[in-house]
Amino acid sequence: MASQSNQPLPEGYQLKNYLIDKVLSSGGFSIVYLAHDEAGTPYAIKEYLPAALAVRSDGADVSINSDENLSVFRHGLKCFFEEGRSLAMISHPNIIRVENFFRANETVYMVMQYVRGRTLQFHVQRHRHEFSENFIRSIFTHLLNGLREVHANKLLHLDIKPANIYVTMEGRPVLLDFGAARQALTEDAPKLRPMYTAGYAATEQYHHHEQMGPWTDIYAVGATMYTCIGGSYPQPANERMEDDQMEPLRNLARATFSEDLYDIIDWCLQLDHMSRPQSAFELQKALMKDSTEWRADVAVNDSESSFGDRLKATLSKKLF
Amino acid sequence: MRFTVFQDSQIGGRRVNQDRLAYSYSKDSLLMVIADGMGGHARGEIAAEIAVNTLNNRFQAEARSAIRRPKEFLESSIHAAHRAIVAFADKNDMLECPRTTIVAAILQNGKAQWAHVGDSRLYFFRSGRLAVATQDHSRVQQMIDAGIITPDQAAVHPDRNKIYNCLGGVLPPNVTQSEEWTLQIGDSIWISTDGFWGPLHATPISDRLLHEDILALVPKLMEEAERKAGPESDNLSVVALTWERQEEDAADRADRGVGTIPMAGYTTTMNTTQQSASIKYEISDDDIEKAIAEIQNAIKKVSR
Repeated sequence: MASQSNQPLPEGYQLKNYLIDKVLSSGGFSIVYLAHDEAGTPYAIKEYLPAALAVRSDGADVSINSDENLSVFRHGLKCFFEEGRSLAMISHPNIIRVENFFRANETVYMVMQYVRGRTLQFHVQRHRHEFSENFIRSIFTHLLNGLREVHANKLLHLDIKPANIYVTMEGRPVLLDFGAARQALTEDAPKLRPMYTAGYAATEQYHHHEQMGPWTDIYAVGATMYTCIGGSYPQPANERMEDDQMEPLRNLARATFSEDLYDIIDWCLQLDHMSRPQSAFELQKALMKDSTEWRADVAVNDSESSFGDRLKATLSKKLF
Repeated sequence: MRFTVFQDSQIGGRRVNQDRLAYSYSKDSLLMVIADGMGGHARGEIAAEIAVNTLNNRFQAEARSAIRRPKEFLESSIHAAHRAIVAFADKNDMLECPRTTIVAAILQNGKAQWAHVGDSRLYFFRSGRLAVATQDHSRVQQMIDAGIITPDQAAVHPDRNKIYNCLGGVLPPNVTQSEEWTLQIGDSIWISTDGFWGPLHATPISDRLLHEDILALVPKLMEEAERKAGPESDNLSVVALTWERQEEDAADRADRGVGTIPMAGYTTTMNTTQQSASIKYEISDDDIEKAIAEIQNAIKKVSR
């Protein structure tokens, strides 16, 4: 049963008032479709469909393939609802917007705004050498606007990483995938299940869930910046707790970045949660520091600043 | 301690009774508690049951003689109940956390102390009048306080069921504590859910308490409240207690529901299983519909 794969909904399938165009991506717990409504507005529709558990062989209805899988199915379903609930609370240009949420085919669907672009992960793999300090400071400053909104709604994202950040054609970062998000910003947060991506998860996500807070997402933002400059994620926090062998970013960078930026990233990646920036705003202020304060360190390279334009050109080619 | 106590809960015109209530007493201390599980969210009755069980179990663990600090006991127990509800929802993968109100009172050493969250009420009657009542954590109470509507308008206001403070919510509950009241003979303390206090006025109750005791009066009022509310009546519940003469040799009226001062152990009367661990949760179509409705609501509320 392990490798059983699910049939996605076919092109042209009418799902409520949305017409399915194609599959955009397919993960362990869901399939994301591109679809459009009567007005022709495109949407990304996420279908809850845990590959190993629920089966759709023919027809549209989903059934669960064994009783013992029911509890896993239910847990996944709960996370799917948590994501819907989290996103529904927020309307912000740097956060993916959920437009609708409904039940059909014996499962549930989340309709999201369709964003044209690529993940930051994609750009790290293809264009890392083109990332300038300006680009990094700008993209993360904007991303932190969205993160401030998340935290203001008493939510933690808990899975920030390059694969969960979209960069639109205009260069606007959009935070995706709130499947791990929790309404956890309360004084007595519930015990959360382990849920983390190695390299991006902070120490407290492994053991001390009661210590999680905005600083937990800040660690992940720091690790994401580290990846943008270094090309690979930092040594996972649980290993660093045993024996901290995290490669200094200065040794990995191909271009020149300011000492100030390295220091900011180091600050985010402190193992002690109290030693990091305590809020998205605090980190944002550090990133927005007047460039005269750090530019002296960097031999400014004019060609670097054109990455935004290059990005736009690349994306246009890929998508249209 | 000598007192008369009476409790009752009716389902009204609803499919499920989401009210839970209990009183429990030792030689020196008494707890009375009511929780009203919130209907707009999934499985309010689970939240109400966990809340009442939590307070009751903690009372029995701590009331060896008298509770040392009643105010702190109520505060910490209500927060413990909130955490137990959130933990239950998490453990059982509930699509949303069930919610409940609570009101609880501790009577001991001739004094009463109470606390509440939401719109379940405590009335304190003395000498034929309502001496003090809890202030609901509700939208309509806020509007009354702001002078926007009158209490009579609140009774029929479309938002009269909306509360901003509960157990099981995103934010921990904000517990309102009473003053400490010294009890006098004949004082009567009532805790009730909105299904009971909603259709009734407090003033006529205090008048009637001058002539009737609670054992006769409460059943009549339960009937009146349900009749007034009609076929759509909410669940209605009340625990009423009257403080009696404290002489040890006073005639025992145990057969009429009078507290009998057990020399050891506890006497508990409740409409729950007492075992939160035994509460079963299976996801239902209704739960999914309610969770979807909540998300739809949030989308509409914050849409651009």
